[in-house]
Amino acid sequence: MAPKKTPLADPVKEQPSECPAQAASAEPLAPGKTTTSRRDFLKAGGMLSLSSLMGAGALMAQSDEARAAIEWAEHFQGNYRLMTPKEKAEARARLEKRYSAEYGKKVTVDGTEAQPNVLMGYALNVRKCIGCRRCVKACVAENNQSRGKEAGQNIEWIQVLKMERGEFSKEKMNQGYPEGLGIQVGGNAYSPAGTVLEGQYFYEPAAVPEKDATYMPIACMQCEKPPCVKVCPVRTTYREPDGVVVIDYNWCIGCRMCMGACPYWARRFNLTTPVLPKEEMNPVTHYLGNRPRMRGVVEKCHWCLQRTRQGRYPACVEVCPVGARKFGNLLDPESEVSLILARKNVFRLKADLNTFPKFFYFYD
Amino acid sequence: MKKLASNIMILAFCCGMISSAFSADTICFESRKGSSEVTKRDLKPGLPNVKCSSKTGAVLWWGDPFDGTVPLGDMPLLGNIPPGKAVVKPRAEKLAILPMCAVACHNGVGPTFIPPTLPKDKKPKPLPTMEGLLPDAKNLQHGRGGLWCLDCHHTTQRNKLVNNFGDPVSFDQPQLLCGKCHGDKLRDWRDGIHGKRIGEWASTGKKRWFVCTECHNPHNVQDGARNRGFIQIEPETPPQLPRGMKNARHELLPGVSH
Repeated sequence: MAPKKTPLADPVKEQPSECPAQAASAEPLAPGKTTTSRRDFLKAGGMLSLSSLMGAGALMAQSDEARAAIEWAEHFQGNYRLMTPKEKAEARARLEKRYSAEYGKKVTVDGTEAQPNVLMGYALNVRKCIGCRRCVKACVAENNQSRGKEAGQNIEWIQVLKMERGEFSKEKMNQGYPEGLGIQVGGNAYSPAGTVLEGQYFYEPAAVPEKDATYMPIACMQCEKPPCVKVCPVRTTYREPDGVVVIDYNWCIGCRMCMGACPYWARRFNLTTPVLPKEEMNPVTHYLGNRPRMRGVVEKCHWCLQRTRQGRYPACVEVCPVGARKFGNLLDPESEVSLILARKNVFRLKADLNTFPKFFYFYD
Repeated sequence: MKKLASNIMILAFCCGMISSAFSADTICFESRKGSSEVTKRDLKPGLPNVKCSSKTGAVLWWGDPFDGTVPLGDMPLLGNIPPGKAVVKPRAEKLAILPMCAVACHNGVGPTFIPPTLPKDKKPKPLPTMEGLLPDAKNLQHGRGGLWCLDCHHTTQRNKLVNNFGDPVSFDQPQLLCGKCHGDKLRDWRDGIHGKRIGEWASTGKKRWFVCTECHNPHNVQDGARNRGFIQIEPETPPQLPRGMKNARHELLPGVSH
């Protein structure tokens, strides 16, 4: 349950009782109210010292007063997971107001919770993938990522890794065994170590698929035991009951611990102020999903929460021209993903790390 | 007077330019080039029906996945799908020469009409008119030499395909024909494992199914020497290079030995 927050309008009551003058004038504290957190204390202090500044700012720029008030309230809102339903609705309404003004159109910020009896799962056919990167671009069209020209301003959540196919030929039967110290490092079973490329992200041929290439798209695996959630010092990233690992961007402090912890290179950091043209902005958003981010926060794939919570396929699933991407409810035995798990050869990336991804790779 | 006339002419020219600039339709393709094309428009203000890639012209995003669809026709073993939950985009109206097929050359009527059969030497005679209309027919790459036209096209009703019993099959339901040989793929397609669907992800949800010929060109499935089921297409742009990286040549060098 969310801890009861003292109303912002009355910060004086929030002062610790060490000060005798204030303690005398304040109401006697209830037994349950003695646990004033450090954040509440800082918040109250901040309100006192900065409210005069805010007033001055509003006087200087009269037209931005509403916007300043919104940003002020947004700055001091709590962790989304700990908010009451009313606070959540207020937070979303604030964001809708700010985004609508910023992007010049009606922006909706959805807050649909996880549905019962739903555990989302994803499956990708690695033999079918042709490496065309349409999923990457569809993701950007849907999820309001930064798309500037300068380095660091272009954020894409899906990476497509091109790898050489291994070969099994009679001539190479006796090659590739360890030499010298006797440790096999890299290479495939029948080629000397070190001659196989480590994979390419920036391939740019005239047409795909290329000969003897395998393509492996990688994005957030929505782990059941996510290392990123373990390391987050402010617990702004967490796993939802329907299996999706989400981020409350407002609570993120940008420490990038999660980026270091993620074994799948899935997280991106807004190093600069995101560049999102008004006409390209997708106005259908979710609080934990594709709402526009600010500078200094981490973002990642969330399986298009704004779509999947409303029943629609994620954007990358819909766009895949070869139908390699499949999405469904793992708890429904008739869903596409359940049928794939039952019939096909399935593996998970880096299964030895015990992260238990809900993203499965399969082949016919 | 002359000046006024020239001014009017310039004005008219500009108007023409502007109107032509606005009326230029953006046509995008859905799965592969040459099949299921969409004209870009607004479903309602601010909601486009599709978003397209500026590099390749491929559809990247659908505003309404069920735009312009009709219910999927009857198919064996599809009884567990409630009516109206499976829809397809009709293909027949998009095939340019299909209206001609049934009336112009292959109308299948007349006193001397004999339904064509494979010649005795088992070498179909090339028809220049047909090859002119349909360049794919010149070099059929399907079945590795084991197929000819009328294995898939109906003998007398040339605007139809044919099933195992010689009955006509609509061009909107090619799965009934393709499943004759590719039964494993048909089963996977029916269950949503093979092929593509857009719409609602729940197993009971409404989905638009992509039929076989929206992704595969049946006359060219082998794609030459590649011998694979999906043709080569142009990829989208690679990711942005990180700050300070001049090029991606390091990826083409073998990894360092550890």
